[in-house]
Order: sequence, then structure tokens, then C-alpha cells
Amino acid sequence: MKRSPELKPTKYDALVVLAVLALAALCAARFWFAPSDAARSVVISINGAKTDRLPFDDAERDYKNNGYTVHIRVTAEGVCVEHADCPTQDCVKTGTISRPGQSIVCLPARIVVSVAGGAADAGYDAVAG
Amino acid sequence: MTTKQLTRCAVLASLALALSYVEGMFPPPVPLPGFKLGLANLVTVFALYALGARYALLILLTRVLLGAMFAGNASALLYSLLGALAALFAMALLARSRRLSVYGVSVGGAAAHNIGQVCAAMLTLTSAAPLAYLPVLLVVSLFTGALTGLIAALLLGAAQRLKLT
Repeated sequence: MKRSPELKPTKYDALVVLAVLALAALCAARFWFAPSDAARSVVISINGAKTDRLPFDDAERDYKNNGYTVHIRVTAEGVCVEHADCPTQDCVKTGTISRPGQSIVCLPARIVVSVAGGAADAGYDAVAG
Repeated sequence: MTTKQLTRCAVLASLALALSYVEGMFPPPVPLPGFKLGLANLVTVFALYALGARYALLILLTRVLLGAMFAGNASALLYSLLGALAALFAMALLARSRRLSVYGVSVGGAAAHNIGQVCAAMLTLTSAAPLAYLPVLLVVSLFTGALTGLIAALLLGAAQRLKLT
């Protein structure tokens, strides 16, 4: 034996546990309680290209593409497609989205409305490790 | 390095490889991404006390490099290397204190392992986003660290009684 180790937990072990907890709390405070809403924005993509970026303020916009018009409404709470003249109406049925990474897709008009910001902006789904 | 030391290192390195391989065959007991029991870390704890930090480092490098080769995943190498090195560094420092038991050292190592892996994730993604996941991993590492500490304490106790080292 190189060093004869202490095999029973000592009260000093609790210090290590406390240090780890403190570090966890520090990281958590930095990320989870920071106002992440400020970084959120609405991104509109047409034909796969980002064409517009809107803040989460009250606004209504029309986007025309592929012969269809999509009318979106942005509020502080989220964004929704209020009405569209497409035959499927999937985009309207999706309702309101607000969290980063969520999106509304209108396939006939080839328009995607998504919420960007926070961790979703990194653009990775998963990394193998 | 004597033949006896070389043999011990080789046995421990293959044990660590086998442990991490077998661990990867089972689904993790808690469905959290990045969650592992870290059984290979057990070998590092044991080697650190039984053989010293230098041999523990050799065993660790062998395990990580061969493990990445067997898995055929070079991108995972950075993760396991940074995690394992951070764990050994932290444990070697903590083990210097005679007041800490195997449990405290092991918990510190498990936490450092997660910090190392999150650093690797931040390096690969060039983003601070993985840092947000660190608190969860750190809290989990308290439990996995205590568990590996328990097993290491049993192993080291048995090794002392058998006068293996």
C-alpha cells in the first residue's frame, strides 16, 4: 500500500460534498435564474433561408411565398400563425409557441416560424460522447 | 518499473477497460444524458492508493486511449481524456489530505470528471451552453462518487487484509 487510506467516511468528507454542492448552486444560479427571455427571438425562414428575425413584442406580419400568405402574430407570450390561406391549416392548428427550439411549419407556403435563443441557438441536437 | 509493477498496471488497465465496456452494455440506471456510474474511475481510486499517482496516470492513459480505439470513436476521446485526467488530478490532490477518506476523494474525483467532460463539450461546441447542465451532473456525481468510494473502500480493505499491495 502506497498510502494507508482512511476507509471510513470522516467529517471532512462532508466538506468535499459541500464544495461540490456550492459549485453546482453557483452554476445553476448563473444559468437558470438569468433572464433568458431577453435572448429569445422569432425567426422566420422562407424556402429554408432565414429571412426575418423579430423580438417578442406585439406585432403582426404577413409573409407571402409559393402563392400563399401566412399571417403571424407575435406577443410577449409567444408567436402563432393567426390565419393562412393554405389548404392544410397545420400552421394555424399548431397554436402558440414560446420556448427556444419550438417551431411552426407551413409546408405549402414553405415557411417556418421558430423561436431562437438560449441553448437552442447552439444548433446541436446531441453530441455523442 | 519492475516486472511486478508492470504486471499490476497491465492487470488494472485491462480491468478498467473491461469495466467501462461492460458498463456501456447496460442502459444507465437513470435516464440522464451523460450519466454513468463511472466504474472505471474505481480502478483509478484503487491505483491511486495502492500504487501512487504516477501509476494511476499510466493506467488511466492506457484505458482511455485503448477504450477510444475499441469504440472506434475518436471524437469521444477528448471527453473521456479530459474527464479522466481532471478526476485523477483532483483525487491526487485530495488524497494528500490525511483527513479525507476514500469517500471524499472519490466524490471529488467524480465531480471533477463531470467538470472535465463539460469543459470538453464546451471546447467542441465552442459554446458555454453545456455549462448549464453541470449542476445536474454535479449533484448526480455526489451519489455515483459515494458509490465508487464505497466499493473502493471495500477493495482497499480487502487488499490490506490479504497484503496484496
